[in-house]
Amino acid sequence: MTRFRSPSDLPPGDRTRLGHLLLALADNKRLLGIRYSDWILGAPSVEAGIACSAMSQDEWGHGRIVYSMLKDFDHDPRQLEFLREADGYLNSEVVDSEAPTWPDLIALNLLWDTALSVQFDVLAEGSYEPLHHKSRKLLQEERYHFDHAVGWSERLMTGSGGEAALAGACGAIWNSCIRWFGESDDPLISPLADLGLVPRPRVTRARWLARVGPVAGLLGLAVESGEVESDEEGQWVGAPELHWEGWSASRRRRQDGGPDEDSLARVRGDRNRVLVADA
Amino acid sequence: MESERVYEVFARKQRQDRFQHVGTVTAPNRNLARVYAWQTYDEDKWFEMVVAPRDSFSAVNLFRFPFTVNESDLG
Repeated sequence: MTRFRSPSDLPPGDRTRLGHLLLALADNKRLLGIRYSDWILGAPSVEAGIACSAMSQDEWGHGRIVYSMLKDFDHDPRQLEFLREADGYLNSEVVDSEAPTWPDLIALNLLWDTALSVQFDVLAEGSYEPLHHKSRKLLQEERYHFDHAVGWSERLMTGSGGEAALAGACGAIWNSCIRWFGESDDPLISPLADLGLVPRPRVTRARWLARVGPVAGLLGLAVESGEVESDEEGQWVGAPELHWEGWSASRRRRQDGGPDEDSLARVRGDRNRVLVADA
Repeated sequence: MESERVYEVFARKQRQDRFQHVGTVTAPNRNLARVYAWQTYDEDKWFEMVVAPRDSFSAVNLFRFPFTVNESDLG
């Protein structure tokens, strides 16, 4: 497999495509950080609030790392950071607005944060070498995010009403998460897979399912929806029928919408940008 | 329902160091206790950190206070 040591080693079209995938990851990290920060002062315990604060900082740090790589992919960092409107963001609809309840936040923590980690996981194993080192610390930090999600899922499943609330919250974002990896002929992912930069969508999706499937199965969620099944060896695999209505492969999300007004102002730093002379 | 327990947190900066007691966290299960400990006591670059439920310790000389019973149980 050919190894790529810098963006300039990549064929131009694939450099653009990889830059697009990285931008989607960076936007999602930044928005997910905001979603964690929404709960720092409203979490069920002081420790849970500290965990939200730590995860929020982690996500913003990860976003910063990826945004900083994008200038080598012909992107203008200032334009990316300050000048985009909502429809220019490539974040999933699941982080467009605040998680309304604690179980909704745990669903994001379990399903969406893990989806992003799995995408970094496969990029770190792919043929684009600059991502290998940069992903290592990120993935170490993400282990604690996943443990947090599993710990809170266990907690909610033992509490009165918690299991139904978590199942409902996971169900609400399940399809958005599972389809994020793309269709089998995804126009962004397939050419990157041809170069060994990432695996095929079904492979990455299967890795995500292997991580979240056991918890989703306990919730009765995936099995009932018919979108997930386990094979003879007990591995979680994707059933072929997924729902693609409204999906935009280029935006890596539902076609319409974007971060809500408050999220957009926070993600761009609108309120205080006037204080930064050159921004 | 899982009840909240106090976990004692111990850590050391280097392999040859002794563990030092760095604090406590309150958590409903061991998974969350691990996460809370790591994220709460991250002011140092720890080589190793462990947690244990306070009620798993056995009293040696003082049987009611100050360590082996949760403060909330003292009434």
